[in-house]
Amino acid sequence: MGKLKFYFAMTAAKLSALGLKILGRNATYLPGLIAVTLCKDFIGYLKKPEIFIAVTGTNGKTTVSNLLTGALRKNGYTVTNNSFGSNVQGGVAAALLLNSTFTGKHKNKVAVIEVDERSSLKVYPYMAPDWLIVNNIMRDSMKRNAHTEFISYIITSSLPESVKLVLNADDIICAQLAPQCKDRTYFGIDAEKPTVLPTQARDIVYCPKCGQKLDAEYIRYNHIGRYRCQSCGFASPDRDFCVTAIDRENERFTVLGDGKEKTYKLINDNITNIFNACGAIALLTRLGFTDQQLTDYFAQGEIVKTRFDKMQAGDAEVTLILAKGQNPVACSRVYNYIATCPGDDKCLLLIVDDQEDNVNNSESTCWLYDCDYTPFKDEKITEIIFAGKRCYDHILRCKMTGVDTNKLVPCPDQLQGHTLVDLNKHKNVYVLYDNYGLDIARAEARELVKKGGGKA
Amino acid sequence: MTVEVLFPEVCNLFGDSKNEEYLRLTLPDAEFIDTDLLTRPYFADNTPDLILMGSMTENTQRRVIETLRPYTERLQALIDGGTVILATGNAGEAFMKHISYVTEEIETDGLGLVDLTVKTDLFRRMNGKVIGKFEDIVMVGFRSQFGLWYGDNSKNAIVKVERGWGLNPDSKLEGARVNNLFCTALLGPILPDNPLFCEYLLSLCGVKAEAACKKEAMTAYEQRIKEFRDPKTEF
Repeated sequence: MGKLKFYFAMTAAKLSALGLKILGRNATYLPGLIAVTLCKDFIGYLKKPEIFIAVTGTNGKTTVSNLLTGALRKNGYTVTNNSFGSNVQGGVAAALLLNSTFTGKHKNKVAVIEVDERSSLKVYPYMAPDWLIVNNIMRDSMKRNAHTEFISYIITSSLPESVKLVLNADDIICAQLAPQCKDRTYFGIDAEKPTVLPTQARDIVYCPKCGQKLDAEYIRYNHIGRYRCQSCGFASPDRDFCVTAIDRENERFTVLGDGKEKTYKLINDNITNIFNACGAIALLTRLGFTDQQLTDYFAQGEIVKTRFDKMQAGDAEVTLILAKGQNPVACSRVYNYIATCPGDDKCLLLIVDDQEDNVNNSESTCWLYDCDYTPFKDEKITEIIFAGKRCYDHILRCKMTGVDTNKLVPCPDQLQGHTLVDLNKHKNVYVLYDNYGLDIARAEARELVKKGGGKA
Repeated sequence: MTVEVLFPEVCNLFGDSKNEEYLRLTLPDAEFIDTDLLTRPYFADNTPDLILMGSMTENTQRRVIETLRPYTERLQALIDGGTVILATGNAGEAFMKHISYVTEEIETDGLGLVDLTVKTDLFRRMNGKVIGKFEDIVMVGFRSQFGLWYGDNSKNAIVKVERGWGLNPDSKLEGARVNNLFCTALLGPILPDNPLFCEYLLSLCGVKAEAACKKEAMTAYEQRIKEFRDPKTEF
């Protein structure tokens, strides 16, 4: 009966995909949704590819997934990947079924599948990955993800012990995931240890073993850092792959792994992306990639343009960066990154709210109060335009943080931010956007390019 | 004025910790005491004017309850004496009679200072918005919770809900007030989001102060009221 249900679901899903293709629409979610609606354990009936890699974690899933997919394809592997589609259960099912025969046999050698943390219980029990890489477990949307303890619980309880884990050793919450899985590879960054404790809230303060306070050797941001419990000896795990040096000037970083130090080209100098790159190197090395294969790949690798892009507007450089609304850590990291970027008289155009995907909402402000606005105090950031309905909340947050209110500009109309950017004054303009705001951000950037005398 | 913040190192989810920051800006001369889980609370031997406690994880909630349990009588005395206590999100659940954690199959008695019970289901996250009246003040806020509250708060609810829901989706009365103990499921920046309520709370402590960044806070507050009252806005 179950098998019949599967074939029925597969037929309906494949037909829907065909229909969507004829209509010129994306088939990255709906066919999968149809399949799992008609057959709850649909994913379990599909045959696993030879190598099934799942990528999860709060921030960096798409970047890691793209790095892995790019490296594998460059080296001759056929790869199924859902980075340009959905990462919830329907999206995972869609990616797998569209790359399977009618009987469920996978066509490609490898699948690199990005899995939303909340979907863990709907994916892994049906198709256990051979490898699971987790970048970090951080504060995220309170509505979907609640808190890190809940997400850890979901991931841990969904994984069989056969799964080989690649985990961020510098995220002590992530590093403790799924203790039943014994094959564990840890990565992290030892370079550029911060000397000052950050002010953001931490999601782990007490030792998970004995309940006493954890001592921090250092903390980079939120709870990312190195810890030890003086009471029972519990500590951050040793790293198997460790970034030992970052040379921003020459765009290089060095990784110590398997007893050897190797240097690669930086794909992006934001510390979060260095974590992502190190995680990808760890997993690819475990898969058998050689030094040369990795070096060659990273020499060409880059962050996809949906996350990070640059344009020229006259003399001004316009940088588009995904900031991820509702996700306070991702936004805080981007704010911090911009503050540390070279250049004076920076202007920020923030289009970070849910207006474009949730028109009839009045977005919760809670996450804004978990965001770190202190980077906006930087004197080199001279103007911040908050575009969208939440502009007054951003301004209140800035004022509470002590940001100079003279540089804050509210723009309740989300689509009018570009009109307020003075390209004569600002040569470094940053456009920050939400997950679903890429089209708006690009439209705003094009207006800026036009304003600068260029062709949009 | 003395403000004790209970367990800010762990009771800080969803932006709740910024209520303390807002009070610090509002009351630059007040003394703030941050009490962690391993330290004897200040209130055990002293009488603070205001006690704050914010949202936490479920594991932390059980630890918080056990940490506070030895001080139940003292807390009762403080409540009877009129000390102002603001518990946001699921912090207020610690003061209630009983919590059933249905997913983990754990039953925990709360401190029993508020006559309500809680049912917490990790696979049922409830989100929403609330607009309503607290006395003459329009209150706006957000909720996001695993726990639903049950019991009779008809005589001591905090907010009479205009849009949104109260103790649970069948209720239009939000939160519970016992003397000056305020247990509200509204979470996050409840004070900066409601500057008039912030001033009211301080008046209960005998302090007449203007809420910090009042102009900006009022602009954001009025915009939110407008949006929450817009029939097109989904709750």
